[in-house]
Amino acid sequence: MIELSHLTKVYGDIPVVNDVHMEIESGTITVIVGTSGSGKSTLLRMVNRLIEPTEGRVFIEGNDVSMMPAHELRRSIGYAIQNHGLFPHWTVARNIATVPMLLGWDRKKVAARVEELMELFQLDHAQFAGRYPHELSGGQQQRVGVARALAAKPALLLMDEPFGALDPIIRAKAQTDLKAIQRRTGTTILLVTHDMAEAVHLGDRIAVMDGGRLKQYAPAADILARPADAFVDDLIGSLDRPFHYLTLGTVGAAVEPGEADGAPLAADASLYEGLGALLWSGRKTAPVVDAAGAPIGRVSLDSIAGRAARPR
Amino acid sequence: MIRPGTILRLIVFLALIAFLAAPDRFAGLLAPLTNNGAPPIYNQGSLIDLTLSHLFTVAVSTLAAAVVAVGLAIFVTRPAGAEFLALSRAVVNIGQTFPPVAVLALSVPAMGFGEAPTRMALFLYGLLPIFENTLVGLSTLPPAVVEAASAMGMTNRQRLLKVELPLAMPLIVEGIRLSAVIGLATATIGSTVAAKGLGEVIVAGLLSNNLAFIVQGGVITGVLAVLISDGFQAVARQAAKRRGARPQTET
Amino acid sequence: MTTLSDAGTDGAAAPRVDRLGVVIAILVAVTLALPFATFRATRIASGTGLRLFDALPPMEAAAVTAVLIAALVTAVASRSPVFRLVLGALAIGALALGVGAAGTHLTPTDNPYARIAPASGFWVGVFATAMLVTDAMVRLKLGPVGRLVALVATAALIVALLASGAWSHLSLIAEYRNRADVFWREAINHVVLAAGSLAAAVAIGLPLGVLAYQVRAVRDPMINVLNIIQTIPSMALFGILIAPLGWIAANVPGAHAIGIRGIGTAPAFLALFLYSLLPMVANTVVGLTGVSRAVVDAARGMGFTDRQRLLQVEMPLALPVVLTGIRIVLVQNIGLATVAALIGGGGFGVFLFQGLGQTATDLILLGALPPVALAFAAAVVLDAVIEISGKGKA
Repeated sequence: MIELSHLTKVYGDIPVVNDVHMEIESGTITVIVGTSGSGKSTLLRMVNRLIEPTEGRVFIEGNDVSMMPAHELRRSIGYAIQNHGLFPHWTVARNIATVPMLLGWDRKKVAARVEELMELFQLDHAQFAGRYPHELSGGQQQRVGVARALAAKPALLLMDEPFGALDPIIRAKAQTDLKAIQRRTGTTILLVTHDMAEAVHLGDRIAVMDGGRLKQYAPAADILARPADAFVDDLIGSLDRPFHYLTLGTVGAAVEPGEADGAPLAADASLYEGLGALLWSGRKTAPVVDAAGAPIGRVSLDSIAGRAARPR
Repeated sequence: MIRPGTILRLIVFLALIAFLAAPDRFAGLLAPLTNNGAPPIYNQGSLIDLTLSHLFTVAVSTLAAAVVAVGLAIFVTRPAGAEFLALSRAVVNIGQTFPPVAVLALSVPAMGFGEAPTRMALFLYGLLPIFENTLVGLSTLPPAVVEAASAMGMTNRQRLLKVELPLAMPLIVEGIRLSAVIGLATATIGSTVAAKGLGEVIVAGLLSNNLAFIVQGGVITGVLAVLISDGFQAVARQAAKRRGARPQTET
Repeated sequence: MTTLSDAGTDGAAAPRVDRLGVVIAILVAVTLALPFATFRATRIASGTGLRLFDALPPMEAAAVTAVLIAALVTAVASRSPVFRLVLGALAIGALALGVGAAGTHLTPTDNPYARIAPASGFWVGVFATAMLVTDAMVRLKLGPVGRLVALVATAALIVALLASGAWSHLSLIAEYRNRADVFWREAINHVVLAAGSLAAAVAIGLPLGVLAYQVRAVRDPMINVLNIIQTIPSMALFGILIAPLGWIAANVPGAHAIGIRGIGTAPAFLALFLYSLLPMVANTVVGLTGVSRAVVDAARGMGFTDRQRLLQVEMPLALPVVLTGIRIVLVQNIGLATVAALIGGGGFGVFLFQGLGQTATDLILLGALPPVALAFAAAVVLDAVIEISGKGKA
């Protein structure tokens, strides 16, 4: 459990982060979202002490992080940023091995871990291990950056706009992959973004920041249904709100008995995908199948629409 | 695949070695440049001796300058030295307007004649390009990379040694190259303050109106300078390749 | 630009004590302890060093000491750049006047051959107070006009000091008086050599640079050859050029008549010209390739001919970089012209090498200080011009 206790950071006269207090449950993905200048990146950097707070403390599993040497703290926390910061003079393998080597793991263990991670991130070891960062595409560099952050199996991973530099098609896949990896490893992730859609897609809980203050900290559904104030409301955007909301539910939850024509929808597809499929194919209903492909019923435009309405 | 440039350099290098090893064999080549039966090959000292002495003076001074300049540049780019940064840049700027020969001449009243003022002048003047280049190298690192180094958990010392200095290396090497080239030229003039070097050959030629001496001294010095400069450039290129960038060809 | 303080610790708070100020203060203290002036009975006799209170009458010595101590205190205690600049300048002024006064005070009325010169204390003091002034000026972030004004003011002060005779009893001035006409003759030689070779380099190097920019195939070979020339030590190049120029002088009709000789100005001029080509060509290429592609495309699209585009769009935008090349060449050539004296090319080097030959510090200074001052002034002036020309173009 990570506790950000009344964190404040003042530069000159301006509080860039102003009395932020939140508790983050272990094993979850928390997304901090806000516009630029909201203090979200500064807040993130106070967790691994790249920036020292003016006031307040950070506790990880009950330990005050300011009590240990900064470099030791950082070796136990993963860090992945937008420009990834891969070391240009080291190969991909050496980059990924950075923290394990700082921790003094033996060579065999390091090599095995590097191979394991490259496979996890779909980077062919034979092809990429000896390459240099500038020889990789943007998407590959981003994956190496996250692999490097996870190399020493940290319990906590900090990410600052990690998908910002990727083009939209790759970005969606990268987000999905991250979620899958998180579910497997159980790492606590604290991720900063300015993209609300990304926040809704990834976050178990979302923290909205503006002007250094924490405006709302709640699960995505709550933020969408009951925004704390006009700013949060604005951030979500009235145009997209129902569609953000639909991404949270699955087709399987809206299934009703019956049959329908046309291409089936997977039960674990999001309601958003379902709506899109129905609209585009000009149907009012579609059959629903489970993971094995067996039909379990149908879903209709009406039932999806019903679930897109603002919850009472 | 060996490029034609490399082959040319190798040939020139071997020719130089051949001349230094057995200069008298080349007497016939240089004879037309003399008049009144003056000796075509420098006979007031061993050419090899002078060459080695010349190179040694430059090597010692440049090495010392490199150590001190890199150290100073590291110092002014750390928080502890930040208040000296602006001034040190200004001093380097101003210092580089001073003609090296003036620095050499002004070292004499302070240090007497011989090797000492030459080495001092080479050292002082050699500090400047190395300091400036190291400074640029250390302060134009990609911010994301430097932050990542700290974020991974490197101590400041580890970050400096494993990330910052290696990435700044192409520029540092270029600075050392500039320093060495200027040093070779200044050391040549050093003969006028009784430093042992190849300038002696040229000066002897000027004094006795012996064109052969002048050409010998000039060609050996020139060839040495070009080969050494090329060597450094090759090292800088290698260093830059590994960081995926070209070393800057600054003028 | 990396913000190193952010990436490591959180940016250390500015230290309470200005450590640069402390260094300067220590140097000023050393100034007071070291000998201020040297007295020699004749030109070649060995000298005795005299401390401040021995070299000056008590009032003047106290005055100089007071100003120096004020500067010392300011260096440590004051953070205001203006204050530090003013105190530093006053201190340099005090030292300059003081050493002149020492000259007057120490010259015995009965011995016209006595020589008084500044000693180590004076030089350390000038160095320390110059640091203070330079640091203050850097922190003031003077613009190009401000720096030019400072340069002109300093030059005016020096000229005033020389003209007023405040320094007339110093050995350096005595040395100058002994050969004043030669001094100015060589000064002209020096400036003509440096400026003339610069003019030739611009006239030829600029078009060559444009050629290298436009014809890709020519660019690398040209730069490579020029690089090789640049690497050759100056004395070596001077020497190597003597042979062909001597041959031309002997065998080409008319060459001797227009001044081409094996030694003297001709090889020096040619060598300086050759050394100037690389900076000119390289900077012209860099400047032209640095012009934004979008601007060039727009110019083409609007219907400029190639020549119009070059002259009206590309060259003006490349100007700051080209001017930087000119600055490099001028500063370089002022320095190289000093070496030209070795092959009979004249210039301030004449005094410098004479002084080395006779172990006469004052002659060395006479030959070394003017080129240093000229090079420094040229750099300041051209830097200001470059900055002004670059405004609003980026």
